[in-house]
Amino acid sequence: MSRFFTTGSDSESESSASGDETAPKAPGGPYSKPLLLSEDEEDTKRVVRSARDKRYEELTNLIRSIRNAMKIRDVSRCLEEFELLGRAWTKAKGVVDRDGVPRFYLRILADLEDYLNELWEDKEGKKKMNKNNAKALSSLRQKLRKHNRDYEGAIAAYRQNPEQSDEDEEKSRRDSEGSASSSGAEDDAGNFLKRRDREEPRGRYKEEESESESESDEDWGDSASESDSESDEDDGKFTSLASKFLKKDEERRGAERRREEKAKKKLERKSRREEEEEEEEGGEWEKVKCGVPLVKEKPKMFAKGTEITVGLVVKKLNEILQARGKKGTDRAAQIELLQHLVAVAHEHNLGVPLELKIKFNIVASLYDYNPNLAAYMKPELWQKCLGCIEELLELLFAHPEIFVGENVLEESENLSNPEQPFRVRGCVLTLVERMDEEFTKIMQNTDPHSQEYVEHLKDEARVCAIIARLQRYLQGKGSPEELCRVYLRRVLHTYYKFDYGAARRKGQVKDGAGQVKEGAGQVKEGQGKEEEKLEDEQKVKEDAQVKENEAQVKDEEEEEEDSEALMERLCRFVYAKDRTDRIRTCAILCHIYHHALHSRWYRARDLMLMSHLQDNIQHADPPVQILYNRTMVQLGICAFRQGLIKDAHNALLDIQSSGRAKELLGQGLLLRSLQERNAEQEKVEKRRQVPFHMHVNLELLECVYLVAAMLLEIPYMAAHEFDARRRMISKQFHHQLRVGERQPLLGPPESMREHVVAASKAMKTGDWRRCHRFVVNEKMNGKVWDLFPEADQVRAMLVRKIQEESLRTYLFTYSSVYDSISMETLAAMFELDLPTVHGIISKMIINEELMASLDQPTATVMMHRTEPTATQNLALQLAEKLGNLVENNERVLDQRQGAYGGYFRDQKDGGYRKGDGYLRRGGFRQERGNY
Amino acid sequence: MASRKEGSGSAGGGFGAAKGKGKAAAAGDSAVKQVQIDGLVVLKIIKHYQEEGQGNEVVQGVLLGLVVDDRLEITNCFPFPQHTEDDADFDEVQYQMEMMRSLRHVNIDHLHVGWYQSTYYGSFVTRALLDSQFSYQHAIEESVVLIYDPIKTAQGSLSLKAYRLTPKLMEVCKEKDFSPEALKKANIAYENMFEEVPIVIKNSYLINVMLWELEKKSAVADRHELLSLASSNHLGKSLQLLMDRVDEMSQDIVKYNTYLRNVSKQQQQKHQYQQRRQQENIQRQSRGEPPLPEEDINKLFKPPQPPPRMESLLIAGQINTYCQNIKEFNAQNLGKLFMAQALQDYNN
Repeated sequence: MSRFFTTGSDSESESSASGDETAPKAPGGPYSKPLLLSEDEEDTKRVVRSARDKRYEELTNLIRSIRNAMKIRDVSRCLEEFELLGRAWTKAKGVVDRDGVPRFYLRILADLEDYLNELWEDKEGKKKMNKNNAKALSSLRQKLRKHNRDYEGAIAAYRQNPEQSDEDEEKSRRDSEGSASSSGAEDDAGNFLKRRDREEPRGRYKEEESESESESDEDWGDSASESDSESDEDDGKFTSLASKFLKKDEERRGAERRREEKAKKKLERKSRREEEEEEEEGGEWEKVKCGVPLVKEKPKMFAKGTEITVGLVVKKLNEILQARGKKGTDRAAQIELLQHLVAVAHEHNLGVPLELKIKFNIVASLYDYNPNLAAYMKPELWQKCLGCIEELLELLFAHPEIFVGENVLEESENLSNPEQPFRVRGCVLTLVERMDEEFTKIMQNTDPHSQEYVEHLKDEARVCAIIARLQRYLQGKGSPEELCRVYLRRVLHTYYKFDYGAARRKGQVKDGAGQVKEGAGQVKEGQGKEEEKLEDEQKVKEDAQVKENEAQVKDEEEEEEDSEALMERLCRFVYAKDRTDRIRTCAILCHIYHHALHSRWYRARDLMLMSHLQDNIQHADPPVQILYNRTMVQLGICAFRQGLIKDAHNALLDIQSSGRAKELLGQGLLLRSLQERNAEQEKVEKRRQVPFHMHVNLELLECVYLVAAMLLEIPYMAAHEFDARRRMISKQFHHQLRVGERQPLLGPPESMREHVVAASKAMKTGDWRRCHRFVVNEKMNGKVWDLFPEADQVRAMLVRKIQEESLRTYLFTYSSVYDSISMETLAAMFELDLPTVHGIISKMIINEELMASLDQPTATVMMHRTEPTATQNLALQLAEKLGNLVENNERVLDQRQGAYGGYFRDQKDGGYRKGDGYLRRGGFRQERGNY
Repeated sequence: MASRKEGSGSAGGGFGAAKGKGKAAAAGDSAVKQVQIDGLVVLKIIKHYQEEGQGNEVVQGVLLGLVVDDRLEITNCFPFPQHTEDDADFDEVQYQMEMMRSLRHVNIDHLHVGWYQSTYYGSFVTRALLDSQFSYQHAIEESVVLIYDPIKTAQGSLSLKAYRLTPKLMEVCKEKDFSPEALKKANIAYENMFEEVPIVIKNSYLINVMLWELEKKSAVADRHELLSLASSNHLGKSLQLLMDRVDEMSQDIVKYNTYLRNVSKQQQQKHQYQQRRQQENIQRQSRGEPPLPEEDINKLFKPPQPPPRMESLLIAGQINTYCQNIKEFNAQNLGKLFMAQALQDYNN
């Protein structure tokens, strides 16, 4: 077994029994086997050794692996091993205190230092190193320096005289060999004992006791046989001589301890072992944990009856955490272990801070469960996670005196000392943010039309509640930055929800008690809002809304403010305190969105204009841009509801004209661009998608846009029918019109677009009634208009707009037919009151759109014939074009002359050629006259 | 100034040539001096358009008949099917041959004497028409193209015209050289690209009798479309089309202008180069060295590609047709308007 050791010579069997060992199959993994399962196999390799022996073996093993790692320049492994070494060293402190610092230890320290310095100097090599290694290098260097400070003197001595120490070693080895030969006779006895030990491990303790007398001799034999076979290995040999003389002392101590323990505890062997393992360095624990046997052992994490202390639990926790992120770690088991640990901690009343600490780690491991960023949490885990965070917050609220921060160093944590303030490392905010992201991910990955989605959506209330609680917690003790972050979370969960409570209250105030019922009905009817598309989705949404309302009601109970005030308060804080641009931008956009959603158009618009986001949004990252797009769309819809058609059109133009509204709003991927992106991009894009319950209804969006475009474009088209240079206001609207014209057979309109096209055609002839019928009817109500919270208002606005614009169109189109027209007739035709008609016509006259004058006494419009007719218009255009043609033709002529007249003349002409064709023509005529 | 004169001269020459050509045609290979069409053919063409053509889509077909002296008698015709994108493998020649074979079985003239085409507001002077008429005339000396204007016909006066390429144009097309020089040499202008052949519609006596009968029976109101005063639509469309052509013409001229400028610039460079070379040679001579070898100057300065002028000729021809149409139409309309005014005065 201890092939690398020539020692093991001295130290008595008692103490070695206390550290009873399985043979190291591979360095670093000596305890990997669950002890009870495969005893037969292991027992063959078991041997009894002293504590000192054991420690030294540990050290030398580690040193060996460090050297190996050094050889292959694996710095990160070096670091790992060095950390283990440090821990082993502290454990071996007792032994070392007696023995003095062993040579091999000094040597590795010195070598490692040299090695690191060499690496550190080698700039080239460092560049080539991978990131992990580079990181490890610097941290290892620091650690080593810190560590070496304690042994400065010894190392210096070693450095001065490495030769001599080697000689020492030689000598000691020779000595030990000598002694070994002398005790060769006892070999048999030693072997025998070993065998027996193997055969009866359980009864070993007793035997050990009884045989303690003879043990020293046996050990001598042991060492002899081994040092003979492996004398070429020098590490560790050096110690043999010194330790030899310490044997007696060690023996006595070990025996005492042994007896003491036995008498006191009478432990089961197994539990003893576990305890021993407890004391072993933590690095070896990772191996223990993986695999099935662990699960069996798990319930007995601590020895029965062991006094569980804070330190012990923390150690345990660290051990568990060591395995985090490593390959082959069973993450589920890890989570369970941690939970068990919490239970244990709770059971033994180890204090809230410790529980907090463990819970932090549980949540973190829950997040770690999915190695893949794209994958989302399983529902059970998610519930667990929510529960855990809620408990965490509960604890935090219950114990406000505990200081929690991510900047608390591991070393400066205070978990148990009640005199000083408790300090726990961890950041609730990060955990909650992560939770929120997970929630988004879950929603993104759930089919929005399934019951499942509704189920998940119910958690939204919990998420909101958690964020609200966290906010309250942080308001007490968080820094402004943290507060900004949590406020943003809150804002992000609030901005897209329509505040029905506030709307209802407003309705009550406005309409009095009588109309409350109706208002409520309207609210229910409009509950769908723009977020849903289909009937069943409406259900989804309604459920969600109910939930949200509940959450909101809760909030309101807590905070006594509606979402408007809440948004205002949160956003104002963010505006004032935020230093990262991103949070402020998001907050502004959400604020605008919220204003727009609640029809506070002017405030929303002013905020948008003041923020100057339109100028620099293209520099923002895609999620913020998506938010911006959502906000613009909401702004446009809001303007439409207010009857501000032009503003609505302008706001929606960018999104709609691209034809990629779906993509721009993060509500789905376009199939068209599927070939253009690879799988990686697609994943990224998928992650950007907005969860379904936050969607803006695309059909509503398009309908609003098209109707707005119709109201603008039709009168414009009528006014500029003969203008050769007229521009389209909305390309998309024209496209729809053309599609409509291309239809060979026109049936009654079916889709929303067809309705709008049909309405446009009716409007073109000034037939507002038909136009109105097409825009507002059963079908369109169901598809679009009912989705607005104040649907009736919007419909009333629409009717009026249609009447007005139809009147304008009518006047543009047919003014040439009339000599005069009575305003009363017009008012009757369009069912508008006289002042409105008067206003519209006056406006048209002032804008020089309509060549007419008003005759006050008879209330008639007198048309003036100043506009050229269609044919005249054409003739004018033709004349212009012919002028152009002639000019071009003359240029050709000039060229001819230029060719004869010389190059320079041509050049000179070139200077003033542009734009003075008439002059030149005059000149030309003169020339001809002269001719 | 000189060029101006030249231009007008050429135009005058063109007129002269047109007159001369008439004689030449008469004196020369006779070709065709008159087209005699059966009423049947006219009706078939009208029917074909009414059933298949719409808007500015064009229908085409084959004319059958025979040549008698210098008179081309068209006695029958059959339509081409409309082309669609999806049956690209449709074999026109095959179709024609089979049609003619089948018609021969029912004892119909099967001599291919040309083709007919409908037109949209008189826009038929195109490259496609030129090319196909050229190939017809190249293969069958006597062939004509009948242009049927459905819109004018709908207004009450049958518009059917027979055209042939002038021999000059035939020459040019055969050469396939449409550079400005070639066209100038051929003395071709838009006026003398096509010659119109007079048309006579001939029916059997029985049909004539019946027509007389019918005329007596038909009410006066049936023929009122001739008197329709609504003019703006037709005029507008024509103007629109005319404008488009004018635009095209402008572009063409600009193109030609650029070419001319390039040529003159190059000429300049060539000139300078030659002068420099000369001076150098003189210096060398004075120094007693041998002169530099003469290089091919055309290799150094590649002349720019002259733009083909056939397009602009065609456009000019088209513009001419439009103008004629508009003139005709307006003259009629003015007459009608005066009539209407007189009637109103009379009534008042």
